[in-house]
Amino acid sequence: MGDNNSPPGSPKEADHDSDASQLAKDESSLETIVRKFQDSMPVGKRHTFWETQPVGQFKDLGDVSLPEGPIEPPTPLSEVKQEPYNLPSQYEWTTCDLDSEETCTEVYNLLKNNYVEDDENMFRFNYSKEFLRWALHPPGYYRSWHIGVRAKTNKKLVAFITGVPARIRVRDEIVKMAEINFLCVHKKLRSKRLAPVMIKEVTRRVHLENIWQAAYTAGVVLPTPITTCQYWHRSLNPKKLIDVGFSRLGARMTMSRTIKLYKLPDSPATPGFRKMELHDVPAVTRLLRNYLSQFVVAPDFDENDVEHWLLPEENVVDSYLVESPETHEITDFCSFYTLPSSILGNQNYSILKAAYSYYNVSTKTPLLQLMNDALIVAKQKDFDVFNALDVMQNESFLKELKFGPGDGQLHYYLYNYRMRNALKPAELGLVLL
Amino acid sequence: MEGDWQQLLQSIFLGLIFAYLLARLISIVVSFKDDNLTVTRARTAPTEPNLARTKPEDPTRPADAGALLHEADSVVAEHGSVRNESEPGSDDDWEGVESTELDELFSAATAFVAAAAADRQKVSTESQLQLYGLYKIATEGPCSVPQPSALKMTARAKWQAWQKLGAMPPEDAMEKYLDIVSELYPTWTAGLTVKSKGEDGSSFGNDSKGPMGPVFSTFVYEEESENDSKMDAIHAFAREGEVDNLLKCIDSGVSVDAKDSEGRTPLHWAVDRGHLNMAEMLVSRNADVNAKDNEGQTALHYAAVCEREGIAEYLVKNNADTNVKDNDGNSPSDLCESNWPWLQRAKE
Repeated sequence: MGDNNSPPGSPKEADHDSDASQLAKDESSLETIVRKFQDSMPVGKRHTFWETQPVGQFKDLGDVSLPEGPIEPPTPLSEVKQEPYNLPSQYEWTTCDLDSEETCTEVYNLLKNNYVEDDENMFRFNYSKEFLRWALHPPGYYRSWHIGVRAKTNKKLVAFITGVPARIRVRDEIVKMAEINFLCVHKKLRSKRLAPVMIKEVTRRVHLENIWQAAYTAGVVLPTPITTCQYWHRSLNPKKLIDVGFSRLGARMTMSRTIKLYKLPDSPATPGFRKMELHDVPAVTRLLRNYLSQFVVAPDFDENDVEHWLLPEENVVDSYLVESPETHEITDFCSFYTLPSSILGNQNYSILKAAYSYYNVSTKTPLLQLMNDALIVAKQKDFDVFNALDVMQNESFLKELKFGPGDGQLHYYLYNYRMRNALKPAELGLVLL
Repeated sequence: MEGDWQQLLQSIFLGLIFAYLLARLISIVVSFKDDNLTVTRARTAPTEPNLARTKPEDPTRPADAGALLHEADSVVAEHGSVRNESEPGSDDDWEGVESTELDELFSAATAFVAAAAADRQKVSTESQLQLYGLYKIATEGPCSVPQPSALKMTARAKWQAWQKLGAMPPEDAMEKYLDIVSELYPTWTAGLTVKSKGEDGSSFGNDSKGPMGPVFSTFVYEEESENDSKMDAIHAFAREGEVDNLLKCIDSGVSVDAKDSEGRTPLHWAVDRGHLNMAEMLVSRNADVNAKDNEGQTALHYAAVCEREGIAEYLVKNNADTNVKDNDGNSPSDLCESNWPWLQRAKE
């Protein structure tokens, strides 16, 4: 924010008093203020809300005297606030049962019309209903963590936030956490300031289950990221991506050459590359556990988790593995999830079909070749683009497989768990949806 | 006579001294008032965003209004833009539920006042207290906190300003607040509309990147890697579909089949970008339909690769060779993902 916003009355500004009063009635100065004020909006450097929360604080960065681990100890459950936080009087809390087709449709529509967009408001995430059920119903989920807000008058669903339980390993500690996601407030209610109370309410309900840590991501910098990742994109259907404005064609580049550049073989190259099946769950679990153990922060998956998160489900998650043609051993694994987006205001296309790299393990097949095969099957399945973060070992294949850097940075956070130092993206083994 | 003169001079002299002293006095009073007001304002910045409410133990925190607002918005900014897309059939019954225009305007006004305060615009203490009271009513309702001690004069004045409004409805408070702001800063909304044109005016602090959750990323626009390639104005006009400019080029003597550094003609560029009208114009000006680029590809190859069916059909009708091979030995139909029967038939 800089000097323009130092607190009124601070001595530094007293000298400028007379100047300010001269300008007081001057239109242009008012505009300047408005502009100054608006320009500074998105980059708030102080975080009054987060400074009150048990999260790593900026001022503690690099303070090696502070121990890693929980910031606050658990409080006795009897001391957790029993009643929900107060909402503005026109609204009420609701618990969303995604198994109910009606409720699921309401949640789907709320998100479809109001959830995350790109910087230029050309695209908006369009999580499918099947995806939402998958994302919110992992083993041991709590229905009470799927929280909605309704308008009292017409019962419309106007806001949503969720948590799901996860065991996440931080170095050698396995910590029960909530993964917080899908915070969304209806566009017509944006000035009602519902988000903080929703965050506090989901926190309260997590505490009621005797869970005291959480993991979440954000596109903005809050106190304090454990790591900051970068999105990369691999064009599968470059013509459509250019037509809808997802990517741009350089002035000297031809469409013809661009299409040739991103062309992929018709079928995967690796012998024994096939879709994962239910009977592969034990082998994939072993492969994955072993692989994820090298990262500082990673999920602690058991077979139930693997069956839920990685067994292929049409239009939700795709998983492939390499079964050695000779030994029938499962040696490699790759997966991606399906997250379409609405294309806002394009006459020819309404949906962008994106695959997001999930968990990939290579032991025998080079990772580069494995991921190229993943690109090939994604192309076969008619995805327009394949996205990946620079987490785990992804950096090793991104450039070579013609991924280009994205404008999106994703910051990862832990709630009530201090990390002494920020991690490199390659030290992170966690993908949140 | 001389006595009269003296008297006159004397009274002039005294008058000057008196005027000087008076001027000094006024200037002292004025500057004192200024200082005093400044101090008062610092304590009573009339906007405290709602987040302050999350800390009930500290209801009268000194308001660094600017910082608080920024915070409020970085935390509270919900996802997405606030363009008013009308979802068909869902616009009924939002009465009393949605953020009204009044909400939006009020929210904008409070933010503006905070910014103005931070920028030390002069407002009378009385107006500040009025704004404070109305703000509290609008955001928190009637005053129910205990009266601060008589020693805390500012806090007490603020409390009184809030308390005396009783059970005024929040909407009325917002209206009155806006009235006062408009009176103090007649131009404040002008500043707003200037800035928010094109983003609908209601998007205060609504960053498309919300407080939590995933991020929608698109490609970073990278400057060309093909830096060594050179093209002329005529190719750029063909690429951009600027028919009139291209005609001027031709009329001024530039060859309709001029090649760029990659051997591409204007027709290649027009087809690559999908400008059928441009292609038609070039062909009508006797452009070579079968001109090859440095890779041996014709405009029909381009149309096939880029799946521009209408253009490909037009080229074939205008004698484009469907069997021509590029340097890799591929005919246009070899490169075409789609199945265009007329291209296949021509091949056989």
